[in-house]
Amino acid sequence: MFVIKKTPKSFMKQLLIFLLCLANISLNAQNNAVVAGEKLIYTASYNMSGILTDIAQVTMETSEAKTSKATLLRLKCIASTYSKWDNFFKIVDLYESYVNPKNLTPYLYKRDINEGGYYKFMKYTFNHKTNTINSVQRRRTNKEENKNFSINAGTKDIVSTLYSIRLFDYKNMSLGAKKSFTIVFDREEVKAQITYLGKETISTNIGKKECYKLALSSSDQVLQGKNNNLLWLTADENKIIVYGKFKIPVGNGELKIKSAQGLKN
Amino acid sequence: MKKIVTIFALILAVLSVIIAVLPVSNLSIFPAIAALVLGILAFYLSKKSGSGKKMIQFIFLLTIISLLLTSYKAIFSKTEVSNNQELKEKEKESKENAIEDLEELDLDDISID
Repeated sequence: MFVIKKTPKSFMKQLLIFLLCLANISLNAQNNAVVAGEKLIYTASYNMSGILTDIAQVTMETSEAKTSKATLLRLKCIASTYSKWDNFFKIVDLYESYVNPKNLTPYLYKRDINEGGYYKFMKYTFNHKTNTINSVQRRRTNKEENKNFSINAGTKDIVSTLYSIRLFDYKNMSLGAKKSFTIVFDREEVKAQITYLGKETISTNIGKKECYKLALSSSDQVLQGKNNNLLWLTADENKIIVYGKFKIPVGNGELKIKSAQGLKN
Repeated sequence: MKKIVTIFALILAVLSVIIAVLPVSNLSIFPAIAALVLGILAFYLSKKSGSGKKMIQFIFLLTIISLLLTSYKAIFSKTEVSNNQELKEKEKESKENAIEDLEELDLDDISID
């Protein structure tokens, strides 16, 4: 019972960090892969005593966000536990990032998480001229906490980072090539790295796909092992994530694509 | 010996039924198989000594219930997310608030649209 109560929370947290530790720092990379109206649905599974158990659904959706001056791209990521877990440990996490549609530079990031009674809200407003973030944090007690802090040039939030890895030119990458990037999470910067491991064809729920295989690592100890955290991106112009394997302090698991709609190419 | 094996088999059989009704029902296969093996051993020992087999029959019954429940859930239960109206409203409100925040930002220097 204790394992059941504890695991999904830790799992979701670690999973999100895993997902979010995949980023690109070449902010000038032009977006030719992500478009408004895209919807990707994933199943997150956790390895329990050698048996993979489906725990949550992760939905990644894009849409337009119009202001009087500009039209931004809204990147939304929702993680929800499957209904069978709701009586034990219900998780509903909403992550959003409002980015420049041309290069996915973030301007506003919001995180609203509700994990088994634990609530946290976080908002970052990016100022790319001064390389600072104005953050607002709120917890269940409703106490609001404002904080300004500096970031390195090119640092992104986890959602825009997750989409930005799709902007890399993997076609021209040599085996073993590495890309480093910085993610801001919980008001702290985390260094992460992607290593290109070549092409691989795998079977997925959306068909057999030729993929770019990537290994992920981070400066903190969230992602464990050298080649234990892997990611497969379709080797086409969309470069969507179709499969992921991860090993984190609380165990290991998988992320599998369930459906993909509204792709650009 | 027979008594110890029977007690262990009973504990495992009860455990497998409990796990079978939980969301982690697929894990009940492990205690169910162990209960089955110990049940067979207890059955063999009781046959040898000529003692009663009612408890062993009960162990088998629990194990079968657990395995049937696990199989049923594995085959027929759907993994789906509950329709969360609250989340939909939160998303909508969040977007409206975000647009208000974005209106206050100096976005003139970025070429969007």
